[in-house]
Amino acid sequence: MSYKCSRCKRDVELDEYGGVRCPYCGHRVLLKERAPDVKEVSVN
Amino acid sequence: MADDFDVEVVTRDDRSARLLVRGLTPAVANGLRRTMLSEVPTFSIDTVRFVENSSVMFDEMVGLRLGLVPLTTPLDDYEVGESATLALDVEGPATAYSGDIETSDDLVQPADENVPIIELKEGQRLEFEADAVLDTGKEHAKHQGGVAVGYRHLQRVTVVGDADEFDEEEPNILRGVIETEDGELVHTEEFDADLTNRHPGKELEIEDVPSAFVFHIESDGSLSVDELTLRAVQSLRDRADELAEKVAV
Repeated sequence: MSYKCSRCKRDVELDEYGGVRCPYCGHRVLLKERAPDVKEVSVN
Repeated sequence: MADDFDVEVVTRDDRSARLLVRGLTPAVANGLRRTMLSEVPTFSIDTVRFVENSSVMFDEMVGLRLGLVPLTTPLDDYEVGESATLALDVEGPATAYSGDIETSDDLVQPADENVPIIELKEGQRLEFEADAVLDTGKEHAKHQGGVAVGYRHLQRVTVVGDADEFDEEEPNILRGVIETEDGELVHTEEFDADLTNRHPGKELEIEDVPSAFVFHIESDGSLSVDELTLRAVQSLRDRADELAEKVAV
């Protein structure tokens, strides 16, 4: 899962044990980024 | 049903036309109207593959807007169900318009260049590849080639005498196309849809002309009005033939 810290804007990788916290600045608000893969949408 | 129809063009340009057809029954007139809406196939975007969408709208919302962009349709080159590929890549600050869409086939193009898809701010980007599929309006309304297709009876206006001197002057509103006493066809817009402008102080008689219908046909740009009408007639005829064939033992 890739997230982005809302304070320092750096990419953050979360693991099971670290809890929800930015390892660089300690901020607890992380934003989930849009997945980079192509998304197919059907129009109807 | 009469074998021959008499067709007169009242007004006509690329996207809309008014046709007077004589010798129709109401059932055939309505069948023709419905056929223009639901049986003439046009291209419309059906699936979109979003490579990047950092705009403020969800993929599905952008997709829905894209489906409604009219695309020119070369009916001789494609069968129903076949598809063409389109792509768009616009980076903000800019507005993505239908004219920015690139197509694999030059014959399949957005019918208008100025349909806004989405406004992009600084740093936002929209990139996608889409498949446009040829299908009919009965499958989905986005495939309708005809918009605002309708008909009215032709109305004959005859002057029967002078209006009573002490009659109140009330507007006599009539819409559609009228036939004058000398057989001339006049659209009521020409006299602001008010018969008292055309015949002041006269007493008039208005009657529907039997089996004469004035069609107003408007195309969304995917087909010309001529082709829309001809294809609709062909489709109606084909299906009538098919019915006749199946009923006959």
